[in-house]
Amino acid sequence: MIKFSNVSLIYPNSTTTVLEDLNLEIAEGEMVLVIGPTGSGKSSLLRLINGLVPHHTGGILAGDVSVDGHSTQLVKPGGMAHLIGIVGQNPANGFVADTVEEELAFGMETLNLPNDVMRKRVEEVLDLLSLAPLRDRSIATLSGGEQQRVAIGSALVAHPKVLVLDEPTSALDPIAAEEVLSILHRLVHDLSLTVVIAEHKLERVIQFADRIVHINGAGIANIGTPEQILMNSPIAPPIVHLARALGLKEVGVSVRDMRRLTADIREREFVLVEAVSSKSSDIAISFNNVSVEYDGKHALKSVSANFFSNEIVGIMGRNGAGKSSLLKSLAGISQLANGSVDVAGFNPQNLKGKERRSTIGFIPQEPSDLLYGQSVHIECDQADRDNQIPSGTTAQILNQLVPGITGTTHPRDLSEGQRLGLALSIVLSSNPAVLVLDEPTRGLDYQAKKELTKILIEFARATGKCVVLATHDVELVAELATRVMFLADGDIVADGTTLEVLLSSPAFAPQVSKVMAPQPWLKISDVVAAIEAQQ
Amino acid sequence: MKKLSLHPLTWWIWAIALAIAVIRFDSTVFTIGCVGAVAVVVFINRDNAPWGKSFNWTLKLSAWILLVRTLIGVLIGVPIPGTTLFTLPILPLPSWMPGIRIGGTVTAERLTSALTEGVLICAIIVIFGAAASLTSPHRLLRVLPVYIYEFGISVVIATSVLPQLVSSVTRIRQAQRLRGQSLRGFASWRRVAIPLLEESLARSLDLAAAMDSRGYGVSKKRSRYRPIKWRATDSAVVFSALIVLGLS
Repeated sequence: MIKFSNVSLIYPNSTTTVLEDLNLEIAEGEMVLVIGPTGSGKSSLLRLINGLVPHHTGGILAGDVSVDGHSTQLVKPGGMAHLIGIVGQNPANGFVADTVEEELAFGMETLNLPNDVMRKRVEEVLDLLSLAPLRDRSIATLSGGEQQRVAIGSALVAHPKVLVLDEPTSALDPIAAEEVLSILHRLVHDLSLTVVIAEHKLERVIQFADRIVHINGAGIANIGTPEQILMNSPIAPPIVHLARALGLKEVGVSVRDMRRLTADIREREFVLVEAVSSKSSDIAISFNNVSVEYDGKHALKSVSANFFSNEIVGIMGRNGAGKSSLLKSLAGISQLANGSVDVAGFNPQNLKGKERRSTIGFIPQEPSDLLYGQSVHIECDQADRDNQIPSGTTAQILNQLVPGITGTTHPRDLSEGQRLGLALSIVLSSNPAVLVLDEPTRGLDYQAKKELTKILIEFARATGKCVVLATHDVELVAELATRVMFLADGDIVADGTTLEVLLSSPAFAPQVSKVMAPQPWLKISDVVAAIEAQQ
Repeated sequence: MKKLSLHPLTWWIWAIALAIAVIRFDSTVFTIGCVGAVAVVVFINRDNAPWGKSFNWTLKLSAWILLVRTLIGVLIGVPIPGTTLFTLPILPLPSWMPGIRIGGTVTAERLTSALTEGVLICAIIVIFGAAASLTSPHRLLRVLPVYIYEFGISVVIATSVLPQLVSSVTRIRQAQRLRGQSLRGFASWRRVAIPLLEESLARSLDLAAAMDSRGYGVSKKRSRYRPIKWRATDSAVVFSALIVLGLS
């Protein structure tokens, strides 16, 4: 269906080739997963399929890409519209209509399909993706998962033979991600649709993939079945790392496979290792009866809790549960309808300038919002000056967090992970009493996530400070949080140690605990420690 | 009161007719009355969407224009004789700039004439701002013919990116506040402008790519999923504006 023959790609003003002599044939009805570190060219590979690269982005393409016999050199992306549906990284940026129904119809209108055909197909897609109750809703009011489904739907109405998706689940909570992926799985099996998908969170998609294309950023691509590729790949989901840690000869790609492989380990007798709790009694953040309203809707309904120093609190919950609202009230930037917040003795609403910087460090959902300098160097100097600390301190912190960034680079040219690192070192340079992060792992690869985990644990342990982060990433929470607070519809529905909260909800349980249930282990190090303690 | 669901062109025709009427009447009382009426219509009828909210910005902008325009009108220009309100010192200008005077006697007549002109300019801005906030840009695009393809793509990008800019500004200023930066002065706007430009550029490219991959502009003919019909209410709205125009 899709054929890459001797494809090489290089962007102008760049010295590294994105792809080099790639040969790949994707058959009809196959689901192919593209993996690789951030900035390695996954998006470029996807956009080569319908010719957006190079028609839309520039770049020099050698070799040929053809879909169903049509070469992208001869046909422009618009001419492939009936053949390929493409869903971008951020579907909200690609919407052209106001309501769900009109958005779905847009692609067919441009293809000049007759009215009765359009009506029929819109109904089909509404049913297929369970969008029927939303048909008249304004797209701007939909949640992230619903928007993703609309974007997939509007690609499907043209009855394409190929569907291309760029990180379809990165902004979604685990349940919404599950919904989207199972729909894709069904399309592949029912309609024999060919699906090409790029994704960082392998734990979510790996079980659906037929083949993996692993690109390393220097032009080299490895192609094979999930088992073959994951055996040696540094990019792997937690269960594969678990298999390696346990010294298994095979790797399983689904929880089911892994449970079969580890049955004997689970059945052994284990002495329960009592976790040493080093809970501090110093309250870092305390909030009482906090309510927040937007346009008459309750985003938070009278929530209260205390966060202690030395704690890493993971705030979880579905899209729209009130996570961001809670973080914003802690940081003092949303108007409280009711209640009070106290951060290290201050009311965050009144904090300004240096006092604010030394009390709360906040990393917003888009870390680049904090950056405005023309180079990394200028950003670091600015932070040094703001905090009246010796020149070069921020740059030193940055070098510790993410080594190897050239000072003259423009922040825009950094990878997602590097940009987060820069924002983080600017925030840390003022040595804040509490650190608040909103959804820090969006678009981060495993390597960057590992670095982030290390930094945050270090920060909380070494300095005894409080870290609060909102995230959809169950694996991240399992790795670093000491406490989890679960929000639903503006209420706190669960609040306890990470172990208690994560194990009590199957949808939000990390892979290791799913494999190892009923043993109470959340991460690989737990498993290894328990096995060692037994020997 | 129930919102009217109108053809996207209706409010634009209505606005053009009103704007011409305002210019032809050239009466401050009528102009202010017209702006008031337009504002009432917008506040009742606008959608709860980004473009609906843009009317507040239009009002703020025109208030600024009125202020600046009046100040300049009073300070610079030909003296109009009449009742003296107060006298400003005259800025000496070189001899090759005859007829221009900065400062000097400010008369009541000069102030009124500056105000009247300012009000007229602002009224036109407000009227067209009203049309923009009453009409969904997406629906407007659907009634425009396909052969103005490039134009269509630019309209969609401009109209859908601009309202998003407003929300991005809020978000970025919030983030800057969290970094403990002052939100006052020119420097603060420079700090907002860079992330903002970057984001809107990325967004526009995304949208253009999305429209392109969905075949926009490939076929010269375009079918209609749900044709937007011209109804009696549309005729009524246009007719009402035409009557005002006829009276002028």
